[in-house]
Amino acid sequence: MTRPSAVTALRSDSARPRKRPRRTGALTALPWVTPTLLLIAGVVIYPTILMFWTAFRKYNSYGIEQGSAGLNNFIGPAGAFTFPTVPWASVWTNTVVWVVVVVLLTLLLSLGLAQFLNKDFPGRKALRLVIILPWASSVVMTTTVFNYGLQTDVGLFNRLLVDTGILQTAYGFTKDPTSAFWVAVFVAIYVSLPFTTYTILAGLQSVPRDVLEAAHVDGAGAAQRYWQIVLPLLRPAIAAATLINIINVFNSLPILKILNETPGFNTGHTTTTLIFAYKSTLGPGVASALSIFNFFFCLVIIAVYLGIVKPTKEVQ
Amino acid sequence: MAKLTKALALAAASVFVLTACSTGTGGTASSAAAAGQLPATTIKILAPSYGDSSQADWQKIIDEFKKKEPNVTVELQIEAWDNFTDKVKARIQAKDYPDILNDNAFASEATAGLLYPINEVMSDSTLASIEPALLKNGLGTDGKQWAAPDIASARLMATNTDLLKKAGVSAPPKTWADLETAAAKVAATGVSGYGMPLGSEEAQVEASLWLWGAGGDWPQGDKLVANQPASVEAFTEMKKLIDAKSTQPDPGATNRQAVADLFDNGKLGMYVTHSGLMSVTRQKFPNIHYELSQIPSKDGTPVAFGVTDFILAFNNNDANRKQATKEFLDLFYSDPMYEGWYKGTGLLPVTTSMIAAGKASDTDNAAFYDALSYVKFLPVSNPQWDALKNALQGTAGTIAKDTPENVLSKIQAQVDAQG
Repeated sequence: MTRPSAVTALRSDSARPRKRPRRTGALTALPWVTPTLLLIAGVVIYPTILMFWTAFRKYNSYGIEQGSAGLNNFIGPAGAFTFPTVPWASVWTNTVVWVVVVVLLTLLLSLGLAQFLNKDFPGRKALRLVIILPWASSVVMTTTVFNYGLQTDVGLFNRLLVDTGILQTAYGFTKDPTSAFWVAVFVAIYVSLPFTTYTILAGLQSVPRDVLEAAHVDGAGAAQRYWQIVLPLLRPAIAAATLINIINVFNSLPILKILNETPGFNTGHTTTTLIFAYKSTLGPGVASALSIFNFFFCLVIIAVYLGIVKPTKEVQ
Repeated sequence: MAKLTKALALAAASVFVLTACSTGTGGTASSAAAAGQLPATTIKILAPSYGDSSQADWQKIIDEFKKKEPNVTVELQIEAWDNFTDKVKARIQAKDYPDILNDNAFASEATAGLLYPINEVMSDSTLASIEPALLKNGLGTDGKQWAAPDIASARLMATNTDLLKKAGVSAPPKTWADLETAAAKVAATGVSGYGMPLGSEEAQVEASLWLWGAGGDWPQGDKLVANQPASVEAFTEMKKLIDAKSTQPDPGATNRQAVADLFDNGKLGMYVTHSGLMSVTRQKFPNIHYELSQIPSKDGTPVAFGVTDFILAFNNNDANRKQATKEFLDLFYSDPMYEGWYKGTGLLPVTTSMIAAGKASDTDNAAFYDALSYVKFLPVSNPQWDALKNALQGTAGTIAKDTPENVLSKIQAQVDAQG
């Protein structure tokens, strides 16, 4: 047995300054973590610095730099928060509604779906595969299919709604910013379902059967077993799925952008799509200024979430 | 379809022949390194796709150029028209300036000091070959010739004669009042009357046409003014048509192509069109019978809309590239090269010799050639135009739900905010 000797070796080491072995440990780990560090520096840190730098520089709409801008990109006459005619009230509500509604409904639907897929029934494998489909295809492609289907003249979904008598005449769902927004909510839930369902399904499969059987024997009803045993055990899975969904949904651009065909500063914007509307009309400086806000907003959401849910806390 | 395959085969064949020639001469030239040839360098071209043949049309000129200048490499990038500006911006932001850019605007690049005045990269005889009335369009507000037009297009109103006859309209409308009644009558038959694209692509064109129809124009002195009595009148008239349900549904989210598709499928009575769109109608939708007429105005004076796209030359601080660019552009505008290129776009030529030839032979586009004499152009040389264009594209469509005064003051506010 080598263990005791290793322990004694460690003990004798503790007489020396504590930092040294740690530092040598870090040094030996360096070759292994360097690629990751480089990646983080390249795709996280550098763009963040660039975003802050860009937000304080003056650009024309072609992205040609014209010196320092001070705070003009934020609150100047053509600043991100002061540009005339931007309907801020609907931008704020849309942003909150977008994140909360999409993430919440996705989670609720996924809990049900995962429960169903966890049951044994013929054709389960095939159904599980079908549910992966929206995940396997590109978001842009899925959204484009919805957009085409909802067109007034040639759209198949519109045709279906008219032929079945649900609608009197074809409706331009994607032609009005508000209805386009709600279509986008629907599509966002649709594409978020597979990932969330599978995360929860994985969680469900780790719920020990003997615990459930014991509860059953003790006379706990199905609802009681779900609320008292399954849901608490699902906590890490739900936490991971929610956090990833919040970030994904908040930053999601393609769905809203493809489905909202109305140009300009309409009532279908979230702060994320507004960044891109600014980028093409007012240039990268103003767009970066709003990005900074988005960046902090995202940090705050995550902090609040971590504070309330404590997803890292182990279930006893 | 057969026509298309034939054209493709022909294009492919000619490319083969030309490349065969060019590699042949290239081989001998590089070993001989003939005197008077340019040293090895690379010039870059960024151009939009006007049609399926755009790539091949440019390549023909490039192959011919390579015969003369085997040491010069030519890099060609062709991009689709939608989001073309974003592609241009991306190249500019990456400081990868194309030596030759084919685009529909030049003021932003010119004011930023990124361009050569175009007369520095074109010989005097080439400049002189361009129709002066069109060349004027490339003049900056500072009086320098920053860009040279490479194609022109005129817009006129197309009317579906069958639909109008069915609705009991005898002749294409000339005044706004005529248009109102004609569009309402056509709409009453169950199709759309007038196609009004106020979406992100062409709201600036449609809005300008109505403004000109009211007798106004955007420039007032040095400034571009959106909120003026004539534009209120124009927007009020547009709203009248929308409110009467005489237009296609959701004008604020409709682009020109969508309107053209409606027309080609016999679901639209009238819309403002150009020669490229009409050639598609002739070739692919032979059942659509149409007539071209002046764009209606308030009092019936003919209005026509003119567009020129431009060649811009970026300053890359490289004498060799500049010299190669100059030789390339001189070749580009020479009759044998330019003829094939402009025909590929489906639009109208800009050199005096080609305009004369086109007028004499191109009967399909005769009305567009005639309109060239009275077309009006957008104020593209004004540095404020970008702001006004963006504001119109983003906001003009809201007249369906807002008053003309409100919409125009919003547009004005956006323009003013950008200085």
